[in-house]
Amino acid sequence: MQDTKHIVQPNRNRNILLTIFATVLVAVALLILTSLGSVKLGSALALFAIWGIATVSLNLVNGTLGILSLGHHGFMLIGGYTTALLILSDDKREKILASGRSSMTPFTVGLSIDNFFNAIGLTAFTTDETLWLRFLVAILLGGLMASVVGLIVGIPSLRLRGDYLAIVTFGFGEIIRLTASTRIFSPITNGALGFSGVPTEFGKSVWWTFAFLGITIYVISKLKYSSFGRAMEGIREDEIASEAMGVNLAYHKVLGFVVSSFFAGIAGGLWVSWLGGARLDSFLFTLTFFFLVALSVGGTGSITGVLLGTALVVFVRQYGDPLEQSYLITTWILAIGVILLLTALAIYIFRTIRRSRPKIIPAFYLFLIAGVATVVLALLAPSLGIMQGEFRGFGMRAIFLSILLIIIMVFRPDGMVGRAEFNWAWVFRERLDQPTEEERKQDAWLSNPELNRPGGAANTSDVEED
Amino acid sequence: MAMLEISNLNKSFGGLQAMTDVSFNVNEGEIISVIGPNGAGKTTLFNLITGVYTPDSGDVRFQGQSLVGKKPSQIVDMGIARTFQNLRLFTNLSIMDNILIPQHHKLKSNWLQAILRTPAYKKEEEEMRKFALEKLSFFGPRLMSFRLYQPVLVLSYANRRRSEIARAMATGAKLLLLDEPSAGMNPKETIEMTKIIKRMRDEGGYTILLVEHKMNLVGEISDRVVVLDYGKKLAEGDYKDVVNNPEVIEAYLGKKATDDDKAKKDGGLE
Amino acid sequence: MASKSTKVKKTINWIPWLLVLAILAIVVGRIIYLGTVHDRFSSAYFIRAFLESLKLGSLYALIALGYTMVYGIIRLINFAHGEVFMVGAFFTYYLFSFSPYPLYAAVIWSIFIAFGFMKIIELWRGKLKDPVVLASGAFAFVLATYLLSQTTVNFFVALVFSMLLTGVLGIVIDKIAYSPLRTAPRNSLLITAIAVSFFWQNFGLLVFTNRQTPFRPDTFLRNRMVFAVGDGTVRTTMLSFAIPLISVILVVILTLFVTRTRLGKAMRASAQDAEVAQMMGISVNKVIATTFLLGSMLAAAGGAMWGLNFGSLNQPAIMGILPGIKAFAAAVIGGIGSLPGAVIGALIIGFMENFMTAIFPKTAEFQGITEFKDTFAFILLIIVLLIRPSGIVGEDLSEKV
Repeated sequence: MQDTKHIVQPNRNRNILLTIFATVLVAVALLILTSLGSVKLGSALALFAIWGIATVSLNLVNGTLGILSLGHHGFMLIGGYTTALLILSDDKREKILASGRSSMTPFTVGLSIDNFFNAIGLTAFTTDETLWLRFLVAILLGGLMASVVGLIVGIPSLRLRGDYLAIVTFGFGEIIRLTASTRIFSPITNGALGFSGVPTEFGKSVWWTFAFLGITIYVISKLKYSSFGRAMEGIREDEIASEAMGVNLAYHKVLGFVVSSFFAGIAGGLWVSWLGGARLDSFLFTLTFFFLVALSVGGTGSITGVLLGTALVVFVRQYGDPLEQSYLITTWILAIGVILLLTALAIYIFRTIRRSRPKIIPAFYLFLIAGVATVVLALLAPSLGIMQGEFRGFGMRAIFLSILLIIIMVFRPDGMVGRAEFNWAWVFRERLDQPTEEERKQDAWLSNPELNRPGGAANTSDVEED
Repeated sequence: MAMLEISNLNKSFGGLQAMTDVSFNVNEGEIISVIGPNGAGKTTLFNLITGVYTPDSGDVRFQGQSLVGKKPSQIVDMGIARTFQNLRLFTNLSIMDNILIPQHHKLKSNWLQAILRTPAYKKEEEEMRKFALEKLSFFGPRLMSFRLYQPVLVLSYANRRRSEIARAMATGAKLLLLDEPSAGMNPKETIEMTKIIKRMRDEGGYTILLVEHKMNLVGEISDRVVVLDYGKKLAEGDYKDVVNNPEVIEAYLGKKATDDDKAKKDGGLE
Repeated sequence: MASKSTKVKKTINWIPWLLVLAILAIVVGRIIYLGTVHDRFSSAYFIRAFLESLKLGSLYALIALGYTMVYGIIRLINFAHGEVFMVGAFFTYYLFSFSPYPLYAAVIWSIFIAFGFMKIIELWRGKLKDPVVLASGAFAFVLATYLLSQTTVNFFVALVFSMLLTGVLGIVIDKIAYSPLRTAPRNSLLITAIAVSFFWQNFGLLVFTNRQTPFRPDTFLRNRMVFAVGDGTVRTTMLSFAIPLISVILVVILTLFVTRTRLGKAMRASAQDAEVAQMMGISVNKVIATTFLLGSMLAAAGGAMWGLNFGSLNQPAIMGILPGIKAFAAAVIGGIGSLPGAVIGALIIGFMENFMTAIFPKTAEFQGITEFKDTFAFILLIIVLLIRPSGIVGEDLSEKV
């Protein structure tokens, strides 16, 4: 009675081919970019992939499940420290043992995949050439460890709702970090000192990180567009209704949380490798804040949007350091003036596009006058002899990101792309939710009150059999 | 044996006794309406049956099994689904997703199979979609074709009501609890809803328990009517008998109703 | 049937009381035990710990009240409240200290403050273009610039001015970041609050300082006090009594305001149901502005006293985080939305942190629990949320079907 397009995804084979083609294209693009030889670009790309893993996984909880989780840095810490400890280089282990300030014991220093492989006789895998295998094992163990902690954290706390849950996840994130620095755990974490000497050839490698990013996107998008993902979206939309429709709330929340923390652990493992060491202050709440910016700016609920947001955040972090350098105070004031003038311009353009009346509002004049005044002040200051000296813009990047987040939240709460997702149907303009010409005619007929009388064709079941 | 047995149900919120010793049965294939003035405890009754609230005492048995202490999702598994008085659709999701989510509890594949898209999972997914289309076709073409992929928020109010009923049907439940299915509908749409509820029983084989204020709908389709007032069962029986019951009229109109008023109200109730 | 329906069940839940008794028993037992172990643990030791805990608890209470008030009215966890506390402390510092505050930074603050002041006056005058509003904005700008950059005043005067300036700043935060999102999903609001919090942290680095700041005003509150108890002497400062006293005074004023004045009653009504309150002719905008004003004023007082107590201010990026989040935990533990609840919760957290570490001190065989004291608040928060999400004295805020 129905054509199959509602039952099976249309153009499935074409889409698979296109996806493979696009993956190859991305790989070629990466090859070209890395062959340019810029270390900074390479590490920025790797960082994009690592934070991409973290944001995409956080988005499973925040966007799909609709739970605001603020403890992602905690899970990254678990994964990161596990990976770091298991893969720490031998010379570094010896140094830690020799050092008097270390709080690690010979036993915890000896915890490594090297020693494990040696113990079970797989000495062939303990050479330098096979480091990748040990890293792979270490990072998977890190992910598993994080997901176990995710399970322990999730089972009790996911019974809560809304902002309480956000606070509890935040609390757990902080508890993880604070307890990691205590004496109980310092044999493993080496206290506040942490340790360096984690091999950087994986975390800084575009190939490794993008491969993991690819896996993350694959798994999370498949989960999101499966029946389980739909159930999770139902929970996001309305918990009470989804429970009344047979969705087991606790199970799905914990499932989402555990999968998310697994990938957070993976991201943590790559992050310590990117940094070359594990230190507690690399896992501050700031990290989760960056991810939140990426999510919210890009678009919660959309993997594409989240990756766009991550690209922005990574760009600001890696290339935004000119913002935090020392400049003349007058330069700063000039910059403020220019920003004010630009805001005035933006208001004007925005109102022109929207054709709003009045076209020019007081805020426009306010920004214009303030901007002109500031610029004039900045230009006159040197000759007047006021406001001399230099000023260093500490924390400018974070300020920029937080202002961006506030602006996005106020003006476009759904983020840049909202819920829209990049897919091939979108590329080819295959909109299933738009009526075809035929359907439009039928619809017009259905909604015509003249034709659509009680007992008419629209109210019986006969029409659907066409 | 009755499909749903409600016996001596009691529930209080703080000092307020919301439900006092309510008992009645629902037999398979029946349409039973629960009526009563506002605040009579109709929605509370639904919440008690579906596990949103736990009764203080008394028992609800469905096909011989007790529902007391079960979670709402477990009760859906057993075969009872409901709609909500103030629509609770998943507004940002498409109609198709709205109808697929209630089928999720029947899924046999686990999440790993779902991620890997094993053939077993794919087959189940296809079946779920077929089932969804089947249930939606109950409402004629207005929820079909391109509308399947539109988010619920663009739908008209009547279409949302229809989608909610389709969603409850998609759970695979045998007993549907409809909380004011015709609220916010115009007379024409109410007539259509009346027909649909009848067809749901006759063609779909559902047993239906509904709460409704529109007396013409209640009178037309109910096999039996249960009247609640202040959490107590006032009357139960045939629609004609119930609406002429002086106690029921008193509950709706107030105590000192003259015969004149009664006659008017009777007309109004009809 | 009638008899059944009138029957009101009264069951007393014994478990919490047993829990309280058990905790008290542990504390008392531990004190007695410690007394027998070492001379160090005399009654003076415990009295000092008690005073310290009370002091810390009162500080948390001042911050927690702001959280609980804002949550009560607009159901928002104001993440930025910890940063308001930080700003209040630094304002106080620059008002009383002799270290000059740069003019450009004072001007930036004054722009914010003038905006907030205009918003306040606007609530009563109706529109922003009103001459009174504009004049008051200009006045506030000049006054704030002068106060911040030029003057050096007595600590108490500084405290009062700082409370006013910070209170206005609270309104600015609400107007710029929160008020456009009144109807938005709760998660968006919370994310915005986090963004505001990050903004202030880094903005603080920019316009205040990026290092620790000594906070030693010339006031009698810092005078030493020594008094003999039993066989030992308690060495402390006036602050041990002054901080709880000031907190009590402020809390009493706040309670009187909320229960006795028109605006206070409007606040309570809006906390019950903002929509209905609006229909009853209550200006919810005024109520929200007042809430932010009062909450931020208390936080500023807390910040100033925090500085007095510890003798220095941490750098702006981290100063507000931990006190803020612990105070939030206190508000939730007490029952968010309830003023006495916030105070009770804050005292509990204060005692947990200070008294518990005092009665489980570092000894030869035991490492002590000092390193864990920052996690106590979170652990208690999680436990309370899991067993009684409405807090100790709070009401149930769960959603109705």
